[in-house]
Amino acid sequence: MKPILLHGHERPITQIKYNREGDLLFSSAKDPTPNVWYSINGERLGTLNGHTGAVWTIDVNWTTTRVMTGAADSTLRIWDCETGAIIGVVPAISAVRTCGFSYSANMAVYSTDTQLKQQCEIAVIDVRNADESIGDANAILKIPIPQYKVTSILWGALDETLISGHENGDICLWDIRNGKKITSVSDHTGSINDMQFNKDGTMFVTASKDNTAKLFDSESLMCLKAYKTERPVNSAAISPILDHVVLGGGQDAMDVTTTSTRVGKFDSRFFHLVFEEEFGRIKGHFGPINSIAFHPDGKSYSTGGEDGYVRVHNLDPSYFEFCFDY
Amino acid sequence: MPTESENKSWADIVDDDAGLLPAPTEVISKGIKTMTEYVYDDEEKKTRKYVRTYKIEKRIVSKTVAVRKAWAKYGASKDDKPGPNPATTIVAEDVFMQFVTNKEEQDKQDDDPLDKLKNLDQGVVKCRYCKGDHWTTKCPYKDTAAGMLPDDKGPGISLSSEDKSAKGTTATKYIAPNLRDGAGGKRMDGGGKRAEDACAIRVSNLSENTQESDLEELVKPFGQIAKMHLGKDRSTGLCKGYAYVHYRSKEDAAKAIAALSGHGYDHLILSVEWSKPQGQ
Repeated sequence: MKPILLHGHERPITQIKYNREGDLLFSSAKDPTPNVWYSINGERLGTLNGHTGAVWTIDVNWTTTRVMTGAADSTLRIWDCETGAIIGVVPAISAVRTCGFSYSANMAVYSTDTQLKQQCEIAVIDVRNADESIGDANAILKIPIPQYKVTSILWGALDETLISGHENGDICLWDIRNGKKITSVSDHTGSINDMQFNKDGTMFVTASKDNTAKLFDSESLMCLKAYKTERPVNSAAISPILDHVVLGGGQDAMDVTTTSTRVGKFDSRFFHLVFEEEFGRIKGHFGPINSIAFHPDGKSYSTGGEDGYVRVHNLDPSYFEFCFDY
Repeated sequence: MPTESENKSWADIVDDDAGLLPAPTEVISKGIKTMTEYVYDDEEKKTRKYVRTYKIEKRIVSKTVAVRKAWAKYGASKDDKPGPNPATTIVAEDVFMQFVTNKEEQDKQDDDPLDKLKNLDQGVVKCRYCKGDHWTTKCPYKDTAAGMLPDDKGPGISLSSEDKSAKGTTATKYIAPNLRDGAGGKRMDGGGKRAEDACAIRVSNLSENTQESDLEELVKPFGQIAKMHLGKDRSTGLCKGYAYVHYRSKEDAAKAIAALSGHGYDHLILSVEWSKPQGQ
């Protein structure tokens, strides 16, 4: 395959996401302008100009009308996807680390960093009629997180729960009707860098700094499977059509300059979902992979790396012909 | 002295006159769009001609996707023309998925040289007095000299005879870890390569127009491919006439050799054989 290289960022990519149909790809990096791309040919639809700090997180709603970004300039911004114009700016108490639209896109959640003498906080806001006044509106719910900050977040089933992954490896399930913790597990020993659902949302895969990715049940938070590697995992995604998990990672960004790409192990690694065994690798990046996303049709996937590039891979027929022997 | 004709090899240089640049053209025919652009390079005082070709595809998509495809570009891409902008969208080099065959074997190989070393160590240390498994200085009998009495006449003689015999064995002479018995170069190659090498074939007498995709088409019907490498000239990108293909199983490789050896391919007759290990 010949991957398409998207060079719209000057700094390491922080997150990439497809929209529901997979025709658009959203990328955010440690520079202030998130990008929107057509996934089919790598054409850039536009940039979202307005932030003044590193953009940590990006999300798009179900109908691809609104885009939400959270940045280190302590704001959460909501954009119109068609024109790239800002619809609303939500001031946060500190840098916004994670954000996400609920399934219905009636609500959105974001979490802030522990910094500027502020403690980490999860906030749920109403985005039904997002406009300039959204910054003045009060959050529906605020959950203070006293100890370990939130590093990734997901909406649970029917928009009734939230799943948060923490710095110390804990995963918590919250009831958003009363803001109480339903359950929590600590299967991981390192920071949860990323969490992604499978196609129907019954399971999610975590990517952790403790060199493993794990599969959890989204209702009970029971750990179902573990995929072990020998380097920190920054992102993991589940194929929507096959029983495959793809892991992206590499050693810490601070060690990158002292290691060559050959020993750095910056390739994306494919594991069998059930057998927890690795069966394939695809090389490409010159730095660790920070974010990985499967196209909703399962025929291509994209990776965003510390090297500032997004690579869109259209998987070869040999990948689909591959049978896992057991 | 570098002349202008020498520089021409790298890019098409049209002429030196910056004032009369032909306008960029765009020709669409049979689903292929060819864009020609002329750019004057100030540093080198040359005009460069860029030709880019795009394939135009028609796809049937859902209505919402089609509407989105027609959206006007915004932000930094506002002034971009329809189609990908070469400044932001680059087609990368070909990559292939490398299939990892069996993980257990790899892990075993990683441990192997260490085990060998451990086994070797038992023979490396040998006491000169009592022939025990410890250093001479640590010998419990070194002061009594009782230990050496049974087998030899005196310390001087025993030392010289020992030295001779020791030279033949691996015990005293330093041997690099990868050359030690049983390690067999595994460390040099990195885990897993050796197992693959057994299923590797060398295809030679390929024509120079052969591409990776052609090769894949040629060798894929015989079985799962772990890895392949097409020898290409760095500057021209043309095939140098050979390729190495690593199959996942030896049977597949044998099948490929039987079928492809002597096979006529693009006006040449292929020669296919087992790949020889490096350095032979």
